Amino acid sequence: MNLRIAWQVLLKDLRLGPRSPILLWAIIFPVVGTLLVQIVFGSLFAPQPRLGIVDESGSEVAFAMAEVDGIELTLVETEDGLTQLVGDNALDAGLVLPTGFDARVQAGERPPLQFFVGGESLASNRLILAVTTLDLIRSVEGSTPPVEVEVVATGDPVLPMSSRMMPLLVLFALLIAGVFVPAFSIVQERESGTLTALLVTPARGVDVLAAKAVMGMVLAFLMTLVTLWINDALGGQPTALLLSVAIGAVILAEVGLLFGSAAKNAKVLFTLMKSVNILLFAPVVFYIFPDWPQWIAQLFPTYYIINPIFEIAVQDAALADIAPQLVVAVVISLALIPAVVVMSRRMTSQMAAA
Amino acid sequence: MNLKRRAAIVRAIVAKDLREFSRDRLWMVLTPIMLIFYVGIFWLLPNSVDETITVGIYGRGLDAVAEEALQSDAVATEQALRVVPFESADALEAAVVDGTEVEGDDGKNTVPVGIAFPDDLTAALAAGEPATVTIYVDAAVPAEVQTAMSAFVREATYAMAGMDLPVTQPQQQLVVIGEDRAGNQVSPQDRLRPLLAIMILLVESMALAGLVAVEIQSRTAQAVVVTPATTGDLLTAKGVTGTLLAFSQTVLLLLLIGAFGFEPLLLLVAVLLGAVMMAGVGMLAGSAGRDFMTTIFISVVFIVPLAVPAIAALFPGVASSWVQLLPTYGFIETIVGVTAYGWSWSDSSVYLLISAAWCVVIFAAGWFILRRRVEAL
Repeated sequence: MNLRIAWQVLLKDLRLGPRSPILLWAIIFPVVGTLLVQIVFGSLFAPQPRLGIVDESGSEVAFAMAEVDGIELTLVETEDGLTQLVGDNALDAGLVLPTGFDARVQAGERPPLQFFVGGESLASNRLILAVTTLDLIRSVEGSTPPVEVEVVATGDPVLPMSSRMMPLLVLFALLIAGVFVPAFSIVQERESGTLTALLVTPARGVDVLAAKAVMGMVLAFLMTLVTLWINDALGGQPTALLLSVAIGAVILAEVGLLFGSAAKNAKVLFTLMKSVNILLFAPVVFYIFPDWPQWIAQLFPTYYIINPIFEIAVQDAALADIAPQLVVAVVISLALIPAVVVMSRRMTSQMAAA
Repeated sequence: MNLKRRAAIVRAIVAKDLREFSRDRLWMVLTPIMLIFYVGIFWLLPNSVDETITVGIYGRGLDAVAEEALQSDAVATEQALRVVPFESADALEAAVVDGTEVEGDDGKNTVPVGIAFPDDLTAALAAGEPATVTIYVDAAVPAEVQTAMSAFVREATYAMAGMDLPVTQPQQQLVVIGEDRAGNQVSPQDRLRPLLAIMILLVESMALAGLVAVEIQSRTAQAVVVTPATTGDLLTAKGVTGTLLAFSQTVLLLLLIGAFGFEPLLLLVAVLLGAVMMAGVGMLAGSAGRDFMTTIFISVVFIVPLAVPAIAALFPGVASSWVQLLPTYGFIETIVGVTAYGWSWSDSSVYLLISAAWCVVIFAAGWFILRRRVEAL
C-alpha cells in the first residue's frame, strides 16, 4: 500500500465529502436521532403523570409539587386555559389553588378542592396525581400523619427507555458514518467511473480503499462521541470509552469496505444494506427488552462493539470489565481483513475486466 | 384522440411501470421486508394499556378497615389499583423481591409494590401511638408511583383514624373533562397504526420517485412523448402507478394489522387520499431526475415533515397548530379516529376534506413540475 497516494485520495474525499448527502446524514443523524428517541421513547411507553396548576397566590402546594420526582408540572395562568389543556389531553389533571388557599387549609376551613382530570388520562396517573396532591395539602395543613412510612426498594433498577435506546443510537451513528459513508463513496466512484480512472494512475485498489476506510473510521469515531455527548452518556472512563469506540469504528469501516466493494451500484448497495442491517441491528433489540434472554444478543458480532460502549457510557464500567468483549471485537476486526483484501482484489479485477 | 384511446395508452404506460417496479431488486426486496417488519413490530406491541398498579397488602385484621380506607373519599381507586391480599408480611416481601406471579381476583400478576401494615396498627391508631408501615417496592417502579404509594398509605391511615380531609371534595370523587376512557384507553398498537401506514406510503412515494428519476435520466420520458402518448398521458400514468403502489400496499398492511374492523370504506377513502398525495410527492421528488442517492435524499426531505403528524399521534393530546398545517395531518387524524375512536363519516368529514385539498395541491404541484421537467428534456 502506498501511504502517500492513500493520503491524497483521503484529502480528495474530505474536500468533496460535504457534497455527499450521506455525509450530511452521518452528521445530522446524531441530533435528529437523539431528538426522536428522547421524545418518542422517553414518554411513549412510560408516560409520566402531567399536572397543571393555576396558582393564584404562590401556594406551597405548587412549590412542593415542582419538587416531586416523576410528575411533570405545568403552571397555567387561568382556569379556562387549564380546563382547555386537560380537555385536550395535553395534561392528565388540573388543580386550581385560589388566593388564600393555604391559609384556609391551615385554619381548618376545608376549602373546596378544584381538581379535575382529563377523560383520556390513565387511571393510575389520576390516582398518583390525586393522592400526591392530597398529601401535599396535608403537609400545608401541618398535620402529623398517623403512621411513619418506610420504603424498602428491592432489586436492580431498570434503565429508562431512553437509556435502553442508547445502543441503537450509537450503532446508527457508527453505521451511517462507518459503513454508509465509505460504501457509498466507493460505489459512487465506481458508477461515475472515477475509480476506474484512478486505477490507471499509480494508485492501487488497496490505496483507495484504505483512504475510504480512514474517512469512515474517523467520521464514525467522531459521530459516536458526538452522539454519546449529546445524550449526556460519556461515562467516567474516557480511555476505555475512546478505545471501545475506536475498535467499533474500525470494524464498521471494514464492513463498509466489504459492502462498497461487493455492490455494483447504489441500488444493489442499498438492497444489501437493508437486508444485512437487520442482522447488524439485532443485538440492540435486547437492550430495549431486558426481559428477553440476553445470551442471544451475544451471538451477533455487533454485540461486541456495542456492549463495551454501552457498559462504559451508561453503566460506568471500567476497562477491565469490558476487556474480554474488546478482545472478541479485535478478533472480529482481524478476521475481516482477509475478506476486505479478497473483495478489494475482486473489485479491482472486475473493473479491469470491464 | 378519444378517451378510450387515451385510457389504453395510460394503461400501457402503467403496465410498463409496474413491470419495471417488479424488476427492481431494491423495491422488491425492501417492500416485503418492510411489510414483515412493520407487521411484526405492530403485533409485538401491547394491544391494551395497563393503567392499574398492582399492590400487595398485608394487614392482619385490617381487611374491613383497609377496604373502607381504599374506598374513602380521598381518591378513586377503581381501575387504578389491583389489590392482592397476603397472609403474611414475609410472603408479601418475598413476592415483591422475587417478582413471582401471584393469583389475584383477575388472574396472575406480579406484585411490584407491597404494603405491610403492622399487626398492632388499629390499637396504635386508637391510642395515638406511632406506628410504621413498610412499603416494599421493586426498584423498577417509577419514583412517582413510590411517592404516591407513600401518600396513599398516609391518606388511608388518616381515614382509618377517622380524620377528615383538609379540603372539601366535589360531589363526585373525580371531575372528568371529556369522554372518560378509563379502562378503555387507546393502546400502543392503535397509536402506532398511522405511523406504519404513512411509512409504507412514503416508501412507495420513494419508489415512484425512483421510477420517474430513471425515466428522466435515461430520457425515456422524452421518447414516450414522441409516440402517440402525450405528456399528460405520461403524467397520468405516473400518478396512477404511484397511487396504485401506495394504495395496495397500505391496504395490505392495514389488513395485516387488523385495522378494518370499523368503517372499512371510510378507511379505504382515507388511504386512497393518502396514496394520491404520495404519488404527488413521488412526482415532485423524482422530477429532479438525478442519480439514485440524490432521489432518495430529496425524498427524505419530504418524508420527514410528512411523517411528523403520525409521530405526534403517538402522544396524548391535540397536535400543535403547526402540525395541523402539515399535509398528512387530516389523513392521520382520520386513521386514528376510525381505528381507535370509532369515528363515523360525519366525524371524519372535515379531516377528509383537508386531506382532499392537500391532495389536489400536492398532486397538481407534482404534475406541474414534472411536466415542466419532461418538456424541458
